Amino acid sequence: MKLRHAMVCSSNQNRSMEAHSLLKRQGFDVSSYGTGAHVKLPGPSLREPNVYEFGTPYKHMYDDLRRKDPELYKRNGILPMLKRNSSVKTAPQRWQENAADGCFDVVFTFEEKVFDMVIEDLNNREHKLMKSVLIINLDVKDNHEEAAIGAKLALDLCQELEAVDCWEDAIDDIVAAFEKQHKRKLVYSISFY
Amino acid sequence: MVGMMAADWAETAVSLLNSARSSGEIPAKLRWLRQLKEVLLHRDPSLLPDFAPRLAELQADRASPVRKLLAEMIGDIGMKHMELLPEMIPSLIYFLKDSTPAVARQAIITGTYLFRNVLEKVVIQGLCSSDLDDSLKSSWAWMLKYKNAVLPIAVQPGSDGVRLLAVKFIEAIILLYTPDPDVSSDPPHEACEGMGFNISWLRGGHPLLNVGDLAMEASQSLRLLLDQLRFPQVKSLSNSIVIVLINSLSAIAEKRPSFYGRILPVLLGLDPASSVIKGVQVPNAHHALKNAFMACLKCTHSSAEPWRARLVEALKAINAGELAEPAVKLKENSGGIVVRREELSPPKDDKVTLQECDERNNDLGCKRNMDEECSDLSQDDVVSSKRARQTSVAAKEVTNESLQKSPDSVQINLPLISSTTSRDGSSGPVQQLVSMFGALVAQGDKAAGSLEILVSSITCDLLAEVVIANMQHLPPTCPEADGKEELISGLGYASGFVSNSLPALRPSVLASDILSLSSSLPMLASLLNIQPSASYDISKIQQGDEEKMTATTDATFSPSSVGDVIATTSASLPASVEPSELVTEKDGTAVPLYANMETTESKIPGLDSTSSFDEIQESQDASHTSTAELQETNLGHAVNLVSTMRLDASTTDCEAQSPQPAITDASQLPCIASVTTAPQYILPKMTVTNVDLTDEDKDHLQKVAFMRILEAYKQIAISGGSQIHFPLLSHLGVEYPLELDTWGLLQKHVLSDYMNHEGHELTLRVLYRLYREAEQDQDFFSSRTATSVYETFLLAVAETLHDTFPALDKSLSRLLGEVPYLPEGVLKLLERLCSPENERHEKDFQSGDRVTQGLSAVWNLILLRPSNRDRCLQIALQSAVHPVEEVRMKAIRLVANKLFPMPSISQKIEVFASEKLQSVADDIPATEDIDADGSALGLQKNGDLEKPPAGRQPPPSLDKNELTSDNPLDQNTTSSSISEAQRCISLYFALCTKKHSLLRRIFAIYKCIPKAAKQAVHRHIPILVRTIGTSPELLGIISDPPTGSESLLMLVLQTLTDGVVPSQDLISSVKKLYHSKFQDVDILIPVLSFLSKDEILPIFPQIVNLPLDKFQAGLTRMLQGSPHTGPCLSPPEILIAIHGIDPEKDKIPLKKVMDACSACFEQQNVFTQQVLAKVLNQLVEQIPLPLLFMRTVIQAIGVFPALVDFVMEILSRLINKQIWKYPKLWVGFLKCAIQTKPQSFSVLLQLPAPQLENALTRNPMLRAPLAEHANQPNIRSTLPRSTLVVLGLVQDSQASGPAQTSQSQAAETGSSAADVATEVTQESTAVS
Repeated sequence: MKLRHAMVCSSNQNRSMEAHSLLKRQGFDVSSYGTGAHVKLPGPSLREPNVYEFGTPYKHMYDDLRRKDPELYKRNGILPMLKRNSSVKTAPQRWQENAADGCFDVVFTFEEKVFDMVIEDLNNREHKLMKSVLIINLDVKDNHEEAAIGAKLALDLCQELEAVDCWEDAIDDIVAAFEKQHKRKLVYSISFY
Repeated sequence: MVGMMAADWAETAVSLLNSARSSGEIPAKLRWLRQLKEVLLHRDPSLLPDFAPRLAELQADRASPVRKLLAEMIGDIGMKHMELLPEMIPSLIYFLKDSTPAVARQAIITGTYLFRNVLEKVVIQGLCSSDLDDSLKSSWAWMLKYKNAVLPIAVQPGSDGVRLLAVKFIEAIILLYTPDPDVSSDPPHEACEGMGFNISWLRGGHPLLNVGDLAMEASQSLRLLLDQLRFPQVKSLSNSIVIVLINSLSAIAEKRPSFYGRILPVLLGLDPASSVIKGVQVPNAHHALKNAFMACLKCTHSSAEPWRARLVEALKAINAGELAEPAVKLKENSGGIVVRREELSPPKDDKVTLQECDERNNDLGCKRNMDEECSDLSQDDVVSSKRARQTSVAAKEVTNESLQKSPDSVQINLPLISSTTSRDGSSGPVQQLVSMFGALVAQGDKAAGSLEILVSSITCDLLAEVVIANMQHLPPTCPEADGKEELISGLGYASGFVSNSLPALRPSVLASDILSLSSSLPMLASLLNIQPSASYDISKIQQGDEEKMTATTDATFSPSSVGDVIATTSASLPASVEPSELVTEKDGTAVPLYANMETTESKIPGLDSTSSFDEIQESQDASHTSTAELQETNLGHAVNLVSTMRLDASTTDCEAQSPQPAITDASQLPCIASVTTAPQYILPKMTVTNVDLTDEDKDHLQKVAFMRILEAYKQIAISGGSQIHFPLLSHLGVEYPLELDTWGLLQKHVLSDYMNHEGHELTLRVLYRLYREAEQDQDFFSSRTATSVYETFLLAVAETLHDTFPALDKSLSRLLGEVPYLPEGVLKLLERLCSPENERHEKDFQSGDRVTQGLSAVWNLILLRPSNRDRCLQIALQSAVHPVEEVRMKAIRLVANKLFPMPSISQKIEVFASEKLQSVADDIPATEDIDADGSALGLQKNGDLEKPPAGRQPPPSLDKNELTSDNPLDQNTTSSSISEAQRCISLYFALCTKKHSLLRRIFAIYKCIPKAAKQAVHRHIPILVRTIGTSPELLGIISDPPTGSESLLMLVLQTLTDGVVPSQDLISSVKKLYHSKFQDVDILIPVLSFLSKDEILPIFPQIVNLPLDKFQAGLTRMLQGSPHTGPCLSPPEILIAIHGIDPEKDKIPLKKVMDACSACFEQQNVFTQQVLAKVLNQLVEQIPLPLLFMRTVIQAIGVFPALVDFVMEILSRLINKQIWKYPKLWVGFLKCAIQTKPQSFSVLLQLPAPQLENALTRNPMLRAPLAEHANQPNIRSTLPRSTLVVLGLVQDSQASGPAQTSQSQAAETGSSAADVATEVTQESTAVS
């Protein structure tokens, strides 16, 4: 496992964590992040989401929501998700605030907005290391089922990338093959550390 | 000590190095080396100078990880000890070419650090002192060498991973070499970390470096990058490189806004329409571009300002492009390949040669504004590269053309080159578009997406212009393929067809890169294959083609331009040569074939002239490899050639108008030479000849051409170019003589597969074209012809649609809705559809859906075609009175639900329905007259008793009675006339549900319609009434019905009250009716249960007077009452009411009253023992006693024998009331007494002696048992003497005594009877 992966979504809860969890189980060197301003979880209604700061431990959120309405959050899968998340890592991390985590080789995003934010953030950093980083976006809807599918696809793709010597040479083929096989559109970009 | 340590470290280092060298295992090696690095860098740096060269020896190590680590170590060491760089950089340069990308990448990464550091050091040292260290100078010199080694990597094909970094390296250099606006341009006084670096510090002067030179170098490097993204190169790049280039350039633009003017034009030039990067991955590039543009937009620098508008525009375009993207991708995925349009590009080439320096031409695809770029150093390169590309295209064509040279002066007509330039000089945009298409096509299938976008983005008009401008490229001859042997010629055939006759086809239709080939070969092949054979199988051929084309295309997929095309050509040629040879043999006419290229050289059987080709071939080859410079030197030639070419082009045009097949006359073939601008060729000599064709040949040719266009639908379908295909077909249909039966062909095509052939669209096209033709009215004949063709065509299509499509299909309806007008024939068709004839629907009437289909079409037409509205309405209405009920009901639903609500036609519908309704009344069949009279009589109130069969019956049973009672002869006519009546009235009834005011008419007409019609009405009315409910109109009718409609009214009332609670309005309407007009209590029965006691009692005698069954119904209703108020009359009340009827006064026959009573007694569960007791109790108090009282008593005791004691009480009370004074009751009394003996004996004994005497006289048989009863000692003692005397138990001795006793006795019994009465009253109150 020579590449370092980052899974990035908006809140570092569902899509990125699903992928993080899956890749971690598969032995990948993987981290996960969110690019949003806050961590947002569905609340009792659309207008009342539960908002947390990045860095708030998943366990804390779990306890908080369980106190608020255990039935609701169990039913909509939030509690199980938080439980899963807390078994993967302590707390959601914000991409922009964790530049110190070092270089990744592959950054996987699950939403075009996130993709753009990651690229913008990377471009704003200084490119001192001259280390290339692949940023791939796969649009995944933010629900549990799609997240599971998305994570599987991300794993597939990461395995493909691991399998080649130099992803820079193979990326076009890999992406094309992936798109053909899964009928999903990928957008990628290359940036540098 | 220190020395010791140093020595130790040195030894350690040596041993580490040796171990690293000798170790066979890579991980171990790496470990040793890392330790060595640690030692050298941190423990004893003094060892480095010794070790640097020795390390360099490792550069040839076989293990790539070792080499990579070494490259990394060089960086680490070099950063700290720059003086060592001269010894290590060569290794780094060596690594750049390493076969393992990772090593080369590391080398570039390392080199980039080093370069930056060395540069900074050089600059800062130079600022501080006027002289530099030698070692530093030497290091810098090596760094420059290194840089020069990296630069080519960025532009040469190779590992993308390495290339990306090389690009990045160049970006770094550009940034380093140019002033950073964000960093102070004043040089720092002393070096310190993190202060940034700005090359402009050098302005003050530097021993080694010069700001201007560096800026120049940066500019050149930038150009290097920009050129990558320019037109021809960009398409050979992989996506990742394009992305990185875009990112890098936008980063440079952001950081060095002064470069905006150079970078943005290139980026903007990469707009979605023209930048096609390896075909597939366009979205990524778009995305990168979008981000780049966004980033550039954010820049606030002043030099960025002028670009904003264009950036915004470009962003919009990208967004639009992304929307279009999926579609493009889809096409690509489906295996579609780009049509090539090579023949489009020559005009453009003309232009280049004509207007040598016309820069506008140079960037066709890229919409760059050249004015803004004139100063751009790189501009020249762009021009030349483009030109190279264009001419290479041209060269290809020349190649092809040269094939057609023939020793036998048989020349092949190749209208490749058009004179668009000279002709369409006026139409600027068209011209530009044509060139643009040309340029795109020149890129082969990679430009598919762009072409697609281009085609879809220009207006139809413009597209048409382009097509017309290209029409002259149509092949002048119409070759006819012949069976299977010519599969290959079909290749040419089809592709030639695609590329020539439909130049503006969408890109994905057919193979692309074979292009030049296909445009020339088809000519070859087709000419060879012209044979007057009528049978061919085009589709087969085309299938073959497609396979072939694909194969060829695959071969040409690699991006490089010229060489590949040649390869392709040659690859596909052998195939094309063979069949043409076949043909040659077959025809017996030696039609020489000139194929081409290498294959030609080697062997084309039967061709002698190949050698003559070879020379040309060679020169062609030369030209393919020729560079831009070469082209330029030859421009002069081109200008000369162009004039020749124009001539030819005009000839081509003539030829095109009269296509001539050229086989029979072997001597002469039409020959148009076409010329390209490839400068270094000398044109083959051309002769122009004419061929006279027989009329049959001409016709045949035309037909074949038409078929060819027609059969191209497959390609069209894939490409979606039907908006061109269809008008072309319809136009040809109009233009061709009728004998050719183009319409028939077209029709057959449309109908063979309506769906897949876009039959609807094509049919519409054809019809509109014909309509125009007819309406133009140029001359009588043609317009009449067009009209008749129009009608037959439409009718044929409509009939086929009707016959072949499932009934639920909407195609027919849609077609009829959209055609220019509807001829009568089609309307007739619709009529037949909506009103199927009898014999027909018997056999296929399971498809009642057909009617639905027809009706929905009619409805559609009524909605959409006001001019046909009346006619269509008529069709619908006819269908609505169709004899078959299923048809009729469908039509009625349509008319009533959909059409009737339309204000414009509702009046007509209403009138029609009324007429139909009236017709029922008018057409009274003679046979029914009597019946009608009978029923009319029956309506009169008193007719019921006299005329039971035809007489007045309760309406629900009316049908049944009449059907069963009428004689059998009548029966048939009746049932048929019922259905006939139903046919006529159904529509009206349906309308009533929509418009309640129509109801009255039904009532009004009711009395004058025949019996059968009445039955029909009776069937309908309950449904109708249930649908409407108690609407105000209906209530109005109820309260004031037309005379003669009573029985209908009854039916309505029954329906209205059946199972539902009638509204108060309804009840009051009925009451009103009863009181005002219609004194028949009959009508009250339905609402009886909802009337109050006070209302019922006055009419109660009338109710009793009703026929028994009605009375029973009324009885039930009264007892049942309404759910809210309970029964209107309780059972005792009813019985009492019955007894209250005075037959004399109320004019009710006594029998009726008796029957009513009996009816009550029949309902023992309602009129129970208690009820009877109560009733009798009350009745007995009435004065006078009711007439039927005793009868009721007798009946009561008959029904309930247990009442006997109670009855005895009653009887004794009657005695007190001196019952003998009422002769009728007295009879009843005695009758009762007889019936109830022996219990009645005690009562009889209470009678006064004279009455007892009377009774015994009337009923002598009583005397003995009564006497016996009285003779019992205990009874005898209580009896007055007079009674005993009457009974003959005592002799009449004391006449006065017993009378007294009897009186007192009578008083006694009277009081006791009163006691009983009060008792019973109490009881009855308790019961009630």
